Amino acid sequence: MSRLPPPADVLEAEPVVADEVALAPGTEPVPRTNWQLFRRRFLRHRLAVVSLVILVILFIACFGASWLAPYPRHPSAVDLLLGTSSGPSAKHWFGTDELGRDQLTQILYAGQTSLKIGLVVALLSTAAGTIVGALAGYHGRWIDQLLSRVTDLFLIVPSIAILAVALKKFGQTPNWILIVLAALGWMYVARVVRGQVLSIKEKEFVDAARASGASNRRIIVRHILPNCIGPIMVNMTLAIAAAIIAESTLSFLGFGVQPPDNSWGLMLSQAEGAAAEFNRFYEIFFPGLMILLTVLAVNFLGDGLRDAFDPQSVH
Amino acid sequence: MTGYATRSIHNRCTDVNDLPFTGSTDFVGAGVGRGEPVLSVRNLTVEFKTDEGIVHAADDVSFDLHTNETLGIVGESGSGKSVTAMAILGLLPKTAEVHGQVMFDGANLVGAKERQLQPVRGNRIAMVFQDALAALNPVLRVGDQIAEAMSVHHDLTKRELNGRVIDLLDLVGIPQPGRRAEQYAHEFSGGMRQRTMIAMAIANDPDILIADEPTTALDVTIQAQVLDVFERIQLRTKTAIVMITHDLGVVAGIADEVLVMYAGRQVEHGTVDDIFYSPRHPYTRALLGSLPRLDRRHGNERLRRIKGQPPSLIFLPSGCAFHPRCEYADLAGVCTHERPALRDVGNGQLSACHFADTLDERAPNVP
Repeated sequence: MSRLPPPADVLEAEPVVADEVALAPGTEPVPRTNWQLFRRRFLRHRLAVVSLVILVILFIACFGASWLAPYPRHPSAVDLLLGTSSGPSAKHWFGTDELGRDQLTQILYAGQTSLKIGLVVALLSTAAGTIVGALAGYHGRWIDQLLSRVTDLFLIVPSIAILAVALKKFGQTPNWILIVLAALGWMYVARVVRGQVLSIKEKEFVDAARASGASNRRIIVRHILPNCIGPIMVNMTLAIAAAIIAESTLSFLGFGVQPPDNSWGLMLSQAEGAAAEFNRFYEIFFPGLMILLTVLAVNFLGDGLRDAFDPQSVH
Repeated sequence: MTGYATRSIHNRCTDVNDLPFTGSTDFVGAGVGRGEPVLSVRNLTVEFKTDEGIVHAADDVSFDLHTNETLGIVGESGSGKSVTAMAILGLLPKTAEVHGQVMFDGANLVGAKERQLQPVRGNRIAMVFQDALAALNPVLRVGDQIAEAMSVHHDLTKRELNGRVIDLLDLVGIPQPGRRAEQYAHEFSGGMRQRTMIAMAIANDPDILIADEPTTALDVTIQAQVLDVFERIQLRTKTAIVMITHDLGVVAGIADEVLVMYAGRQVEHGTVDDIFYSPRHPYTRALLGSLPRLDRRHGNERLRRIKGQPPSLIFLPSGCAFHPRCEYADLAGVCTHERPALRDVGNGQLSACHFADTLDERAPNVP
């Protein structure tokens, strides 16, 4: 450490010429923490704030279903025998299905699976895609060739078919579903990140970082990826939506979660009989509404986050 | 800490670069008799192979750099100034072919591996870039970025880092350093950004500071202040400075020695007084003649321009690269077919002109 004398000793401060005229009182730079700036920029995005509130409510409601749900998750056999489909009412806000189960209760429990799959798949695939994309974009040459071709390979395989086969083999549990979905969903993020890294690595601040002795890993992690945070966030929110939809599709096709597990997609598929009967529209409407609401909210949230992460946007 | 970087460079380099120092040891340059140079560049050549041919970006550049001295490298755009600087730190793209020697601390930096260069870059030899806005990371706070430059090389606690960041910002003359450290580069003015770059470059107390056109993007008053920062730093830390610029005014103000480059070649090298008061190369004379000066006797004297364009670095003129634009050239003779060697023309001043000794007697061939 001897090379680093405390600058105060060697370089005792001397009055320096300021190129800035003294700032008028009240206009001097206000120290703000990262978090304060972030929050300020985020709060300007009304839709994103509303979306965040909706998502928080959804999460609390679904994961607190054991306390919040109006009826037990698994009704007694007697109730099931006597139960029948009924429309929304004061007693059953979202109606009941043909077995007489309260739809609201079912939606809350099913939401646990759907939301978990959406979130975890998005996190896993974004992390994997970011690593692959950053390595490919930064190193170029044969590493890029190799990783890009693997990405292309994953993109061209028919994912529904692979999903169906893989899930039949491993078992249609929520955990396997999210692993397989993540394994088939990282390529989009990888492509976006690769493109971003390709353009950012040509920036002069990357040269400057190299000139200051930073290693490749440090340059990627500290200098390049923070500049990609916007597109990565947006893609991650898109991935949440895509995963929820993919899970619904799988369940609808019979390859997704199996009872007694439940998900919004499975509820839709079980209500397919209702599609023909207009007076049972609610059996499709409410699970569908939940998917729609979540996906929309997550997309708006992504927009808001992207703006909030950019220090050069409004502040 | 001296031990750390020095040792690692030594140890790693001995196996790859155990060649003896083969540079021309009889090299006589402006600067003999001032002790060991801190950096010595010998026969540095940089070439880029392109589809059109080989670009000779730097051709046989040699100079010594001494502690507590400033070397100005001047020349037009494309004369190889920046390429020389980048080659010293091994920052050129892989397409560049670099030959020659850059001896620093007993090791040759040319051809050294990234691993060997990393402890030198930013720590022992630091660089200030021209466009500070582009060279600062837009999403990192200025303070974090300076701290980053230090934490690459040193294990310091967050507190120590913060303290040093504020001291450094203060040293380069940024008011309210504590608050400014919390801001981003785009919230800074041009002069403050360049000061921040300088603060980053001197953060590790380097032996050598390479400044690549640090004042080009700034207006004149800010330029003067930034140059003043360089001078104050050298006064205190004895750092050797390489000031790359096309602005002769900057060189006159700050440099001890001047290296004039043309088409990738060294054309003249001498102390700042030699270069400005008795230039021994027609190109240097032409450059000085094109400079507006307040101390000219006759106010009505016209500025003289250098006719023609700088040559393509792929198809260099035969002989002396400057002969097509030279007022003193012997166009029928030696200038067009023999490349002049850089030679001592007295007092350690070097000139690469066939007629360096008789320039004053030669009549300019005015068209």
